[in-house]
Order: sequence, then structure tokens, then C-alpha cells
Amino acid sequence: MATRVLIADDSEFMRNLLREILEGEFEIVGEAENGVEAVNMYEEHGPDLVMMDIVMPIRDGIEATTEILEENPDATVIMCTSVGQEEKMKAAIKAGAEGYITKPFQKPNVLDAIGSAV
Amino acid sequence: MRVDVRALGACNRLAERGAKQAAGALSDLTGTDLAVEVTGASVASGEDLAESFAGRESIGVSVGLRGGLDGEAVLAFDAANVDALLSLLPGGQSMERSAVTEVGNIALGGFLDGWANYLGKAIDMSPPRYFEADGAAVLPDGALAGDGVFLFESRLDATTTDLDFSIYMLPDSGPFRDLIVGKTAPAATAGGEADGGTASTAVPYESLSTFSSLAKKGSANAADNIAMMTGLETTVDVSRLRFVPLADVPAEVGTEPHAGTVFELQGEPSGYLAILFEESSAAAVADAMLPMEPDEPLGDMAQNALCELGNVMTSGFIDGWANVLGTSITHSPPEFVHDIGASTISPLVAKLSERQDYGFVIDTAIQTEGIQARCDVYALPDERELARALDRLSGP
Repeated sequence: MATRVLIADDSEFMRNLLREILEGEFEIVGEAENGVEAVNMYEEHGPDLVMMDIVMPIRDGIEATTEILEENPDATVIMCTSVGQEEKMKAAIKAGAEGYITKPFQKPNVLDAIGSAV
Repeated sequence: MRVDVRALGACNRLAERGAKQAAGALSDLTGTDLAVEVTGASVASGEDLAESFAGRESIGVSVGLRGGLDGEAVLAFDAANVDALLSLLPGGQSMERSAVTEVGNIALGGFLDGWANYLGKAIDMSPPRYFEADGAAVLPDGALAGDGVFLFESRLDATTTDLDFSIYMLPDSGPFRDLIVGKTAPAATAGGEADGGTASTAVPYESLSTFSSLAKKGSANAADNIAMMTGLETTVDVSRLRFVPLADVPAEVGTEPHAGTVFELQGEPSGYLAILFEESSAAAVADAMLPMEPDEPLGDMAQNALCELGNVMTSGFIDGWANVLGTSITHSPPEFVHDIGASTISPLVAKLSERQDYGFVIDTAIQTEGIQARCDVYALPDERELARALDRLSGP
């Protein structure tokens, strides 16, 4: 059975790009545009993996990750972000993220990160 | 508040590194090589900054910054190049706004990483905001308020296309203040190293702002002098005090042929001043000054005319500084230069580089009406001496 993935990114362009990379090998269960939607869609779909942007409106990706993992300790989240700040990476890992990819990325980076996390 | 020019240099290096990271991210995203051409910090009045953006139509993305650094960062490019950008992005043409916004998000994220890592603190970015703007509206609301606006600006040029980007960062005064105050001794001593003391490079922020105004007045005087000597109507288009790596200055002047005059300044501050015209402008201005048409463009007669013009302009420029700073500044006789732009100014930069890595560059564009002529004035003062003079300016 294909790994079920939730994409959370406020950029439609980036969601499309990720979808193109993942489709075929993974099942995309939904696309969230902000942290609140990501939490709600996680609860709704229970995906195997969340590809989570950090800078998003309403609730950012680190807060959303914290919230998802509080309720679902087995959830797997990979940060997929333009932010490469060490402090943000630490905050993401502290929040429970399993991986961290900085944009712009190539397909192999994404697949490697997923392979390591799932 | 005292601004330490060494700390400002460190900030500039961070901005340059950030710009390189942003250029790398943009290159990866678009498949087009981008190089950082210039990174510098400007101090200018809001009004002058607004003038320097006049006539530009831009598309861009802005983000708000909080945490390790407060303020705003902007990525902008010429609106005419949007199709060129979108054509380089997979699926870009079908989702213009989203694609551009993400380009800005990625570039600015890269730009800020170095700052955050240096500070050891996270910088929170607000979600990116897409905009289309005329002139200075490219800068965030309220950015132009006040007498002295600090602006970091980096230009990212594509090596094979016209797709060029600018990154602007306007730090708010809070955490940025801590950064630019630096760790060096705040008091500027009059004796400096020559007297065995510690030469300080800290200058009162207000004095920097005053010096920026002085530069503007000097530009206006220089423009008046051109008008008097040539009979041509002149206007000062741009006047900004920028803090840039000296090594970048020749590249800014560019590779087009230029002619003009260069001077060594003696006094406090000492340094160099270059008055450069594009080659055709130099010939047109010389022509306007001479009673008869010269035998050859930029021949002996034209050179003499431009040297005299340079003399008068330089005096107009530095007299105002000397009067306000309470110092005496004299200048050497004019040296005529005629070469590609970078080569005209490289010798001055090389001499000043023996003493310092960064310089305050006062760039002024003077435009004449009636004939197409443009003149750029580059003033390169010794940073320590300028700091001392500015420090006295804010004295009791």
C-alpha cells in the first residue's frame, strides 16, 4: 500500500511541485494551506506522513507539528521550508519533526528525506 | 546611539552572504545563474530614497521579520521581466502570483538564514506578501518616514538573461541597534592610532544622518556649478550615502567608457572624490562650456574644460562638509581620467583599501536638461577621520 501523504504549504505553486514529485509513488490525501488546516486534515485523514512548510499564515508549521504530535505521537512530519536557520531547525526537531528539507529542492532530496523518515 | 562602522561592515558581510545564499536558491529554482553584484547599506532621508526608486515598476514579495531581527525584507524585480521569470519555473505560467510569491519566499528565506545563524537566534518570517508597485512603494509602508533611513540593498544579476533581482532589508531599530552598535569602544578619540590611542570607528547615528544631508547639499552645489559653467539646467537625481565594500565600487561604475576628474582630499576627512561622466555626456558638457566646437571630442580643450568644471564642483561639494564639520578640507589639482568606468576609479579604491575594507560612498547623479548628460560623483572618505569629524559634530 502506498504511503499516504498530507502536503501543508501556503504556496499553491509549491504544493503543485510537491504533488508532481510525489504522485505515482505516494498517495496524496490532502493539501493544507495553513497550520490549522494541516492539523484538521491530519485528524481527518490520518496520513502516514506530513510534508510541512514552516512559514504559513494563521498557524506556522512548527506550531502545527507540535499540535499534531501532541495528539498523535506516532505521526511523521518532515519540514519542507525556505528557512534554513539553525535555530528554526532545532525548534523543528524539538517539535518532533523527523526530517528537514530546504527549498528549493530536487526530487531526490525529497525522496531521500521520506525514505529516512518513514 | 552610536553606529560602529566596523559592526556595520560585519552586517554588510552578513547581507552579502545572505544575498549569495538567495542567489544560489534562485539559481537552483530558475536554472539561471545569478551573481551578487552589489551589497551595501544606505543612509538616506525617506525623501531621497523615494527619489532613487522613481520611475521603476516592480513586482515583488515582502516578509515581516520578528525575533532575532525586526523589520521587513523585500525581493523585487522589474515588472517587465515577470514572463521571463515564470517561463523558468515549472508550471509557473499558470499560477503567476503563487509562483512569484514562492520565489520570494525561498530567496528571502535564504537571505535571512545567515543573519539568524550569526545572531544565534531565530528570525520569524511572516507569510510572504505579493505586490506590484511603482517607485518607492516597493518598500514597506512607513519605511520612508524619518530623516535617516537604513536600507540594506543587494543586487542579484543573472549572467545570461535580463532577469535581475534586488533584495532590500529595512531593519527596525530594536535588535538591529544592538547589532550595529558593535563591540568596539564607543568613544571616538581625536588622536586615534597616531597618538597611540585606539582609533574608534563609532559614529553617532544622528551625525551619519546629518552627513547624508550634507552630501545632498554638496550635490546640489555641484549641480549649481555645472549650471553656472555650462548654462545647462541641472537637477540632482539621486543622492545617497552608502556603506559598501570598497572592492565593489569599480564594478558599480561599470564597463562603459567614462571621462571626468579625480581628486585627492586632504584634511579631515581625507580621501578621494571622483566626478565621472559617461563618455558621450562628458563630450556634450565640454562642448557646452567651450566657446567654439572643439577639434576633437575630449581632446585637450575639452579636458581642460572638464578639469575646471571638476575643480569648481569639488569645491562646491567639500566646502559644505568642511563648514559643517568644522574642519578644513582641501583638494589636489584635478586629474583627468578617460577609460572604462571601473578603471577610472580602481586606483582610488586601491589606495583607500590600504587603510580600510569598506567605505562611505556618496553617489550622486546629476542630470542636465537640454542635452543628454549624466554625472556621477563618488566620494570616498577615510572612515576613521570621517568618524572623528562626525563625532565632533555631535559633541556638547
